[in-house]
Amino acid sequence: MTRTSPEPKLQRPPAERRYADELAKLTADDTAPRPPGWAMSLQAARTFIVGDDKLGIARKFVGDPSLIDRALVTLATNRGLMLVGDPGTAKSLLSELIAAAVSGDSTLTIQGGAATTEDQIAYSWNYSLLVSEGPTRRALVPAPLHQGMAEGRVVRFEEITRCPLEVQDSLLSPLSDRVLAVPELEGSDGMVFAREGFNIIATANTRDRGVNEMSAALKRRFNFETVFPIGDFDTELALVEAEAAAALERSGVPVPPSRDVLEVLVHVFRDLRSADGSGDRMQSVMSTAEAVSVAHAVGIKAWYLRGGEAAAGDIVDCMAGAAAKDNAEDLARLRRYLEQRAPKRKGRHWQDLHQARNLLPG
Amino acid sequence: MPDDLHVIGVRHHSPACARLVADTVDRLRPAHVLIEGPADFNDRLGELALAHTPPIAIYSYMAAGGAARRSWSPLCDYSPEWLALTKGRETGAAVKFIDLPAWHDAFAEVENRYSDAERRYADATERLCREFAVDNTDALWDHLVEIADPEGLAERLDRYFDLVRGEAEATEPDSARERHMAEWIRAALAEDDGPVLVVCGGFHAPALRRLAEAGGPRAWPEVPGPPPDAVVGSFLVPYSFKRLDAFAGYQSGMPSPEYYQRLWDDGAETAAGALVELIATRLRGKHQIVSTADLIGARGLTEGLARLRGHDRPGRTDLLDGLASALISDDLEQPLPWTRRGTLTAGTHPVVVEMTAALTGSRTGRLHPDTPAPPLVADVEGALERLGLGGTRRLRLDLTDARDLERSRALHCLRLLELPGFTRQDGPSAGSDVTAEEHWDLRDGDGRLPAVIEAGVYGATLGDAAQTVLEHRIDRAGGDLDALSGVLFGAALCGRAHLTDRLGRAVADGVADCGDLAAVGAALTVALALWRHDHLFGTAGSELYATVITACAERAMWLAEGLRAGPGPADLGRLKTLAAVRDAVRHAPSLTPPAASVAATARRIAGDGAAPPDLRGGAAGLAWSLGASLDAAGAAAGVSEPDRLGDWLAGLFRVAREEVLAEAAEHGVVHAVDEIVGDMTEQEFLVALPALRQAFAFFPPRERAQIAEQLVALRGGGESAHSMLDRHDADPLTVAAAHALEARVDEVLTREHLTAATEEQR
Repeated sequence: MTRTSPEPKLQRPPAERRYADELAKLTADDTAPRPPGWAMSLQAARTFIVGDDKLGIARKFVGDPSLIDRALVTLATNRGLMLVGDPGTAKSLLSELIAAAVSGDSTLTIQGGAATTEDQIAYSWNYSLLVSEGPTRRALVPAPLHQGMAEGRVVRFEEITRCPLEVQDSLLSPLSDRVLAVPELEGSDGMVFAREGFNIIATANTRDRGVNEMSAALKRRFNFETVFPIGDFDTELALVEAEAAAALERSGVPVPPSRDVLEVLVHVFRDLRSADGSGDRMQSVMSTAEAVSVAHAVGIKAWYLRGGEAAAGDIVDCMAGAAAKDNAEDLARLRRYLEQRAPKRKGRHWQDLHQARNLLPG
Repeated sequence: MPDDLHVIGVRHHSPACARLVADTVDRLRPAHVLIEGPADFNDRLGELALAHTPPIAIYSYMAAGGAARRSWSPLCDYSPEWLALTKGRETGAAVKFIDLPAWHDAFAEVENRYSDAERRYADATERLCREFAVDNTDALWDHLVEIADPEGLAERLDRYFDLVRGEAEATEPDSARERHMAEWIRAALAEDDGPVLVVCGGFHAPALRRLAEAGGPRAWPEVPGPPPDAVVGSFLVPYSFKRLDAFAGYQSGMPSPEYYQRLWDDGAETAAGALVELIATRLRGKHQIVSTADLIGARGLTEGLARLRGHDRPGRTDLLDGLASALISDDLEQPLPWTRRGTLTAGTHPVVVEMTAALTGSRTGRLHPDTPAPPLVADVEGALERLGLGGTRRLRLDLTDARDLERSRALHCLRLLELPGFTRQDGPSAGSDVTAEEHWDLRDGDGRLPAVIEAGVYGATLGDAAQTVLEHRIDRAGGDLDALSGVLFGAALCGRAHLTDRLGRAVADGVADCGDLAAVGAALTVALALWRHDHLFGTAGSELYATVITACAERAMWLAEGLRAGPGPADLGRLKTLAAVRDAVRHAPSLTPPAASVAATARRIAGDGAAPPDLRGGAAGLAWSLGASLDAAGAAAGVSEPDRLGDWLAGLFRVAREEVLAEAAEHGVVHAVDEIVGDMTEQEFLVALPALRQAFAFFPPRERAQIAEQLVALRGGGESAHSMLDRHDADPLTVAAAHALEARVDEVLTREHLTAATEEQR
């Protein structure tokens, strides 16, 4: 006798599963014309990402709506979409959401890295079949690009600039001629022509090698969109609060982080991120995501070690490891900030922060 | 609301609103057209009716108690107010401005009367932006008004502004303006001779409707007068799109005037096409690659964006977004400026800079020649005419010539007023300069007239205006002596040094507050030079500079005595100060403490172990040059450590160069130093070397040779002094490496007992 066990809980289901209800609702109500091969219209895709309170669609990306407009329109043209920006600015999340909206599927993902090869991008072979049958369609193991082109779906290429240049350039002909050659196969299988709906969303990190080293030929086939840190304090605070609360709940902490402490934290991150040209700009990444992880750590420390009360001083402790990483200069910058800027702000938590400067290592 | 009252709430500089105003005037044929604008200008509306070429602005100023306040009411072709003025006049309506004058306190913080008032109350607009999923209110405005269907625009505007105003509590300045405007409206309604059309900022419209209905006096209101001691004025100035677009923060209004001008002239499609062409031309002119494929791509994107956003015709952001996506293949350092509000920030991508510049445009307005101008304009024009300073050319002035001096003074006054087109290429930069020649670049241009009109706030004549600016600069300088010494010299150049007791007092106060020895020295140098021998500027012996010298000399000695620091690189600023004190005591003994007491202080500093070595050296030099004797060997011995010697010498040489050269060789400083250096180890010498080199750099080559000869003579060596000073071509680092290598070889040889000496011992 078998018993069907409930479906195991996934750590992080893909966007199209997380937001399946919203996608279904938007598709059902969608009357606007759809670009060929798209799962929904541009308008519906935009609503899915920027949200709409009246329709009960949550806002999933905090940033300029015009960025979404440009990104979606780009995907409907024959150029790829390149999302660039500092780490932690939600580029990957954005690319996942767009892919989920446009193709109904965000899983055709290539993770770029120093060891990425064309095999992982286009196709490889099942070697036992290859040996027994020779190069046949059956022996071919399609990788995301092959699949995306054959099925007319959006392919995501994460951290494209971390790949070797010659690997990056393998995207040239799929992007410009919309065709992928499989020279080992004969006949019609030897050429995979992209079906409507295929396009590429690449993400690149400005702190890595950057996009400057990309070949001009490839650059020309992408439209670039820079994703910026959140411009507005209140929005960022709200986001950090929500994300940190969710993360804390997952870690078994029932109380949300204290708002006062979070305010101080977000202020510190924003100051250190911009540092108005005084040379105090941190080398390390001061992203919202990093702020969330510091807030998470502060919350855990408060709950398990202090009996619930979060203190601004804990921020320093957690930041020293999380944000300043192992960069001695950043540590000095942080120290200078705590010594000189923190005491000028009013409020108990800022004074705590100032007092806590001695907790910095070194 | 009374039937006869029609209030159109507009956004200033909005073509769609302008069109609405024009249509409404044609339709209603109102008896009264009341416009948000400075009511004090009402009896001069005729000036506005002259055949000007917009953009122009009503410029208003108020000067009271040393403070000046300026504000502008800019009008362009497509301003609703401009249309109300011209159309109202055409149809024979009684046209009036109904807002408070610019000198009223309600305008204390306002530079641009036609800024967007609703920016000060952002909550509702922010919510609307979220709702419509647009970046900011400019994009929202285009979406709802400029490129939307003109059908039903009036109702849409009313709903928009009702919503914006609905939740906001107006500030007192805004309420005061609205109360005043309502008085005019009630008076116009009371005449009961036909429809009354009010054209005002949309934010005020709901309040004006309400207030007009409420009771109150029905007579034409009095325009409030300026404060009793204030000088006020309003004049028309030519304006430019650049300036219109340069307002930032709460002062800003509609962006991208060139775009809206074209939208007004030709409609959205033609405007978009023309601007793409303009931008492509600009970029190609700057050698940026803009391929045909890029332009096709941009066009496709623009159309796609317009469709996605529900626009029948491409709007401003559709155009910009499309171009940015297609043309920029880089990561951006700064967000696209049209996604935020405000002016460009540093680090904006060059392509974006060109794009926004193209949309800003470079049109400038022109006033009809009969337009009255403030008295300063005539005075400046007269001065330019009389002194022959018009046109575009280079000018050489000989300051010893009386007429040229007058021309120079006029030019300096013009420069002080920051009028464009008067650039000094070179000339005396402080009183001690030997040159008596100045070179100027004169350039006549469009920007000059508006600048002169606006400088009218400072005074009626060129000299008076320059004087006011000088006094402003003093106020702004606060205790900053560097800035004050600049003002001091500026006063001399303008020929205004004799008048400014204010200046003298301010400098004396600034000196007393100043804790920076070098800054005091800089002021002292300037003042001393001007006081001593500036016959050129006529400042020699001036009381003003005498006060400054006295204050600075005393303050300098006080600060020098209190200075405590360990060894460190010589600070040229403070050494210059000591040299300036030396000169002051020598040449202006009546203005400084007596030489003996200055020398005594200097000796005290020289012997103070806690003072920095360069200051001790400088003080020793000061005492010496003022007649005290110097025990060279003793003094040098006190600073014989390798990290002090060079800096001490630098101080001494800077202040007492002549004395060093003149003294007898055997007991002199050079001899004493030579002894100390001779006793140093290799390592110590290397430490001392950089500072020593710097110290001897105070002597010109000939004098250095002279010292070298002294040394050679003292040591009785056979080498010629010149060969000692010959420069080596070898890189000092290579030489140092060679030395280090030799030292190691010696060490190894010694260790292995391989030197000649050990050989012999064996």
